Amino acid sequence: MKEIARHSVIAFLAVLALASCGKAPQPPTASQPATPTPAPTQAAEPAGDPDKNLNIFCWSEYIPQAIVDAFTKETGIKVSVETYASNEEMLAKLFAGGGTYDLIQPSEYVIEGLIKENMLTPIDRQAIPNMKNIAPEFTSMSFDPGNKYSIPYMAGTVGIVVNTELVQDDIKTYNDVFQEKFSKNIVVLDDAREIVSWGFESMGIPINEVSDENLEKVRPVLEKWLPLVKVFDSDSPKTALLNGDVALGVVWAGEGAILLNEDKKFKWVVPAEGAHLFVDSLAIPKSAKHVKNAELFINFILRPDISAKVSEAFPYLNPNVAARELLTPAQRNNPASFPTADQLANMQTFKDIGEQATKIDELVTSLKAQ
Amino acid sequence: MAAGTTATSLQTGAAFRRRPGFPAWLVLTPLLVWLILFVIVPTVVLIVLSLGEQKGLGTIHFTFTLKNYARAFDWTWLKVLLISVNYALLTTIICTIVGYPAAYFIGRSSERMRNILLTLVMIPFWTSFLIRTYAWITILSKEGLLNAFLVSAKIIPEPIGILYTPFASVLGLVYNYLPFMILPIYTSVERLDNALIEAAYDLGAGPLRAFSQVIIPLTQPGIVAGALLVFIPSIAMFAITNLMGGGDPPTIGDVIHKQFTSGRNQPFGAALGCLLLLIFFFSLWVTRRQRAE
Repeated sequence: MKEIARHSVIAFLAVLALASCGKAPQPPTASQPATPTPAPTQAAEPAGDPDKNLNIFCWSEYIPQAIVDAFTKETGIKVSVETYASNEEMLAKLFAGGGTYDLIQPSEYVIEGLIKENMLTPIDRQAIPNMKNIAPEFTSMSFDPGNKYSIPYMAGTVGIVVNTELVQDDIKTYNDVFQEKFSKNIVVLDDAREIVSWGFESMGIPINEVSDENLEKVRPVLEKWLPLVKVFDSDSPKTALLNGDVALGVVWAGEGAILLNEDKKFKWVVPAEGAHLFVDSLAIPKSAKHVKNAELFINFILRPDISAKVSEAFPYLNPNVAARELLTPAQRNNPASFPTADQLANMQTFKDIGEQATKIDELVTSLKAQ
Repeated sequence: MAAGTTATSLQTGAAFRRRPGFPAWLVLTPLLVWLILFVIVPTVVLIVLSLGEQKGLGTIHFTFTLKNYARAFDWTWLKVLLISVNYALLTTIICTIVGYPAAYFIGRSSERMRNILLTLVMIPFWTSFLIRTYAWITILSKEGLLNAFLVSAKIIPEPIGILYTPFASVLGLVYNYLPFMILPIYTSVERLDNALIEAAYDLGAGPLRAFSQVIIPLTQPGIVAGALLVFIPSIAMFAITNLMGGGDPPTIGDVIHKQFTSGRNQPFGAALGCLLLLIFFFSLWVTRRQRAE
């Protein structure tokens, strides 16, 4: 989600390391330096593949490097991490026949599609005892009944952030945000499907009914909304809010949670019309070569202490109940990270909409360029 | 290729048409391999992709349809292209106006001074371009350095929005591409024959006339090369316009990028990319023709 930010940080470190030798800094490959330690320190617990390698393809800014290091230390499995900034980017590489990924991290609607196209390996549930830590409302969800192919990693929502120093109004709904008086004072995700789903929610249309007719219905609403937006940014929408360049935002809950931690002036609002809930899961592609190692990693990351560390770094909605207990009260009570049960009940997940994605993109682009 | 026949053709060739021999090909090989791998092959892939259709999650069917091109001429996309061309033109013009005097001054300085100045032009480029762009964000934002300075100096009563405007986009583009304008013009200025300028003065031209009728035409190759080097990359640039301009209005580079990701339509993105290539060839052709005249 924050690819640019991540690259810049890596590039910055590289620049420091190179100390202005005048060459363009190259992002270091994410893989570990090949530690020649052959045998893991402990007598191997649940054995992985004989080949001690694991290739993870995950969202940027989602799995802390410290956790990957801890896994390598514990199991002796060398992990290489490659990241993507959108589900579709991951799909493009997967379909191009990379074939080298052992673990991917798709969102719910993509899992649905991948299962349909028979591109995932069933996960051996015996190898994942820590599955018991996952809250029941996140198991066996509609996109993968019985969790045959996917194990939930993190969930989150999209909601409204208000800078209460600049906006005194009581913001409750999307329509409250997109008002003429807040013109050029708003940051939103640069994501056509998200934007259209907000329009749908404000009109009471279910967010997965992306028919041509519904897109025509939502057009006049978005036609009014989009010119009011100052910044379109999916990578780091918090920047514009933090710098005071905008007063309102419709952003990822993870970003919202960070803002709330940063400054008390920010308020998190779950839109009254309902919101989009996303669930990112871990899954093993059919072409994976290290299935056992991938399962080891899934089980490792579901361990409460490890999962709590993920939450600390990236405060999304952690479906791991045992990990939640290890969080500080402040983290646990962050309204952006953890919506109430009522709010959760009012949320919808995305379903695969196939080629309608193209029409959504065209609609939003044309309205942005008006 | 024709290593064996080269010698004979050299002996018998009436005209002095020297064909490259084996050593020449050997020296050229790295370049040729580079061109084939990173220019020819990607272009062919792009063209083939632009004739396909994307189905389902991401499978591409090569149906050899032209409908992607038909769609590309819809007003939605043409408008985005126009916006990008506008940005690029504006950037090129500002770069020329700012860059020419700088390049002229550097080219006319003493050799020691010249080296120092040239190094100063390049120093920012020792840092990654994303870091430089992020630096601009901290300077231009509402709680940034520039606003803090202007407010404390009582020039403006309260912070103004500079970041996330078209102005910020163009500023970012100019800042990043200015050296590509300065360096080619500098090379032309450096080679300028002083005798010609003196001759102009001797023949009664004032400074203005000498500049517009002698110096400018003589340094024109540098200006044209600089303009191309600025114009072409600015059209497709989307990182700067997204980070500093807030992604509003969208640019063609951004739109193409989205086709390959969330828009889930790689063939259409490829078709837009091919059209962009055509624009590049067209601008090259225009400048070459100008030079020929």
